[in-house]
Amino acid sequence: MTLFLKKFGILFLGFICLATALSFGSLWALRQSSFYKPSFLANAVDESKFDYVILGASNGLTTLNTKVIDSVLAIDGINLSMDDTAVSSQYLMLQHFLAEGKQTKYCILASSPSSFDFKRNAINDNDYRFLMYANRSYVSDYYKQFSGKRASLLYHSKWMPTLGVSYYNAELFFPSMMSLVRPNKRNRFDEKGNYTYPVFQIEDELITDIEEMPIAFSNAYVKKIKGLCDANGITLICYISPIKTKYATINSVPFNVINHSNGLNNMKYFHDEIHVNTLGREASSLNFANDFEAYIKPSE
Amino acid sequence: MLFNSIDFAIFLPIVFVLYWFVVKQHLRLQNTLLVIASYVFYGWWDWRFLSLILFSTIVDFSIGIYLKKTSHAKKRKYLLWTSIGVNIGLLMFFKYYNFFVDSFVTAFSFFGNSIQPNNLDIILPVGISFYTFQTLSYTIDVYNKKLKPTQNFIQFAAFVSFFPQLVAGPIERAKHLLPQFITKRKFNANFAMSGIYLIIWGLFKKVVVADNCAFFVNQIFDGSSNYSSLELFIGAILFGFQIYGDFSGYSDIAIGVARLFGFSLMVNFSFPYFSRNIAEFWRRWHISLSTWFRDYVYIPLGGSRGTSMKQIRNVLIVFLVSGFWHGANWTFIIWGGIHALLFLPLLLVNKNRTYVNDTKISFQQLPKIVFTFLLVTFAWVFFRADTATIAVNYIVDVFSFKGHSVALFYKTSKSVLFSLIILFSVITMLVFEFLSIQKHKKEVILSPIMAVFITILITFMGVFKNPSDFIYFQF
Repeated sequence: MTLFLKKFGILFLGFICLATALSFGSLWALRQSSFYKPSFLANAVDESKFDYVILGASNGLTTLNTKVIDSVLAIDGINLSMDDTAVSSQYLMLQHFLAEGKQTKYCILASSPSSFDFKRNAINDNDYRFLMYANRSYVSDYYKQFSGKRASLLYHSKWMPTLGVSYYNAELFFPSMMSLVRPNKRNRFDEKGNYTYPVFQIEDELITDIEEMPIAFSNAYVKKIKGLCDANGITLICYISPIKTKYATINSVPFNVINHSNGLNNMKYFHDEIHVNTLGREASSLNFANDFEAYIKPSE
Repeated sequence: MLFNSIDFAIFLPIVFVLYWFVVKQHLRLQNTLLVIASYVFYGWWDWRFLSLILFSTIVDFSIGIYLKKTSHAKKRKYLLWTSIGVNIGLLMFFKYYNFFVDSFVTAFSFFGNSIQPNNLDIILPVGISFYTFQTLSYTIDVYNKKLKPTQNFIQFAAFVSFFPQLVAGPIERAKHLLPQFITKRKFNANFAMSGIYLIIWGLFKKVVVADNCAFFVNQIFDGSSNYSSLELFIGAILFGFQIYGDFSGYSDIAIGVARLFGFSLMVNFSFPYFSRNIAEFWRRWHISLSTWFRDYVYIPLGGSRGTSMKQIRNVLIVFLVSGFWHGANWTFIIWGGIHALLFLPLLLVNKNRTYVNDTKISFQQLPKIVFTFLLVTFAWVFFRADTATIAVNYIVDVFSFKGHSVALFYKTSKSVLFSLIILFSVITMLVFEFLSIQKHKKEVILSPIMAVFITILITFMGVFKNPSDFIYFQF
């Protein structure tokens, strides 16, 4: 048995050392890259003062084009939205934004309409994209608060990075190898953080059948984001992006809301039920700029 | 509990420590521990099915004892048929009830009558086909006086439920495995290490080769009409590697885990994709099942003795039953039938045993290996497709040469990544296997450095986020 334990121990130790070294290397490479938004913000964004920052899920990523908004209003913004995330991830992104020493006047929270009212927050599909900063307290605290296998793996990656890098190997390990060769490569977003869904087919048809969808902003993370914004002198604006067949109804809330849920009434603007295509993005960005101007002007 | 789960990674060391450090002086306690561990392992899926294993165990244990007590031929035959009836009855009910009802209704409708099928909402107990065949082998061997029945219920229960091979084999023969529960076990470091290496190799085949292939295979087979002929052809090949990596990977892990507890299980796969004809393929693929059918069906039917017609009949029966064993679907029966048709010409011209003693492979034999692989791949389409119609359409589409695009394999960065991983891992697997064949090894034997290398590949190329179930669990 001693011989077995010795042989197995050497094998195990060899594996652990090599795997840990590769995992640390992988996270280091991603930290130096622009592949995902968190390291893109740290490495590829030189400005530290913005007029506005868009934090959101796929809605925020694909509905608001900061290039259009900036050119219309002559301001400077950045889109830090990530697909497959929720309001909790956007809170983490705001923490990361501030931790990187960046400042903004306005925070546009453009999460998916349903996530504004999540009763129970859980780890989101793309929260692993903060793993290269797992040794920062706000990131590890974020992972720690959730239950479940994925959250546990991400949290414990702080000490054993192999756990997270192995579980998300297609998303972390291989992109890190690519980042070594092309450190400026971004994962499907432009230099201002925007992405768009292509126009597959034009269905030029008015949308008439629209249901009401009440939004109460009951997700505890909305309050947390509001608190963090207040503490840093940032004005929070919640943005409800266009939805094909729903109209969001909102009662009074203690923050600003731009409700464009029924902002587009033609099928040609939509990629699917809750996402717009390139045409829709152009129209939505102009609509947004129009409403956002009312917030910007008094401060000018 | 899956071999590639965190649950099992915790379960295995606990059982190992208890087995070798706490109860190692007591054979009875070791066997009891194995029974408890096996029932926990199996109950992890659904504890209700434990009653089925327990029932099967009690029936065959009791029949074994009665078979020893009586020499009356008629009584012995009655006991044998009771065992066969109970085991096959359970299998038929849980696995084939709805199939028979549906087939009956379809046949009835064909003649212009329509009846309402009375289907039951039956959940198939994991691995029922495997442990049923294992217990049956015990009763048949005891009946044929090839094996002395055990008087120890715990030993027998441990034999039936031994967790490494309980749910997907290898299907062990009682005369090989049961005596191992009777003799005192001594820990052998080299034997246990060979088990560790085999577990690593099995995990590589399952988690890297099979689960990465599944990424494309599932897409292609779920919407085969949307793909070009070339994509469909590659999809069929990938399924060949998926099912091999999946099933032989499971067998390797099972054999490796058994070695950690001092047990030797039979080899289940012997590099089947290096076969030079279909007969050789069946000597290398799922050996525990094909030899089971050989010993308990083919030979009792007369085997290769008698007239050519009888030989053809026997071969057809074995292959069709073997296909049916895999699942309650006509696709499996057709799959078995195709293999029978491929095998029969070799039998009739007496070439079915050509490579029995010729295990070394040369590059000149590459065309034969590729040809055999393509034949096997052709049959896999029926095995994988949901219905026979889909399979036929799939094959028609392959041969209709409707485009030669392979965009599926490079259209997104994710596709490119999976394609490269599959290419690399399949080549790695085949190279290791080829080298093992050339060295006349029965399994891939890793050196410690290679074991670390393979473990690193598993860690960074394996599919952990959306792992596939082991394919053979459904059987």
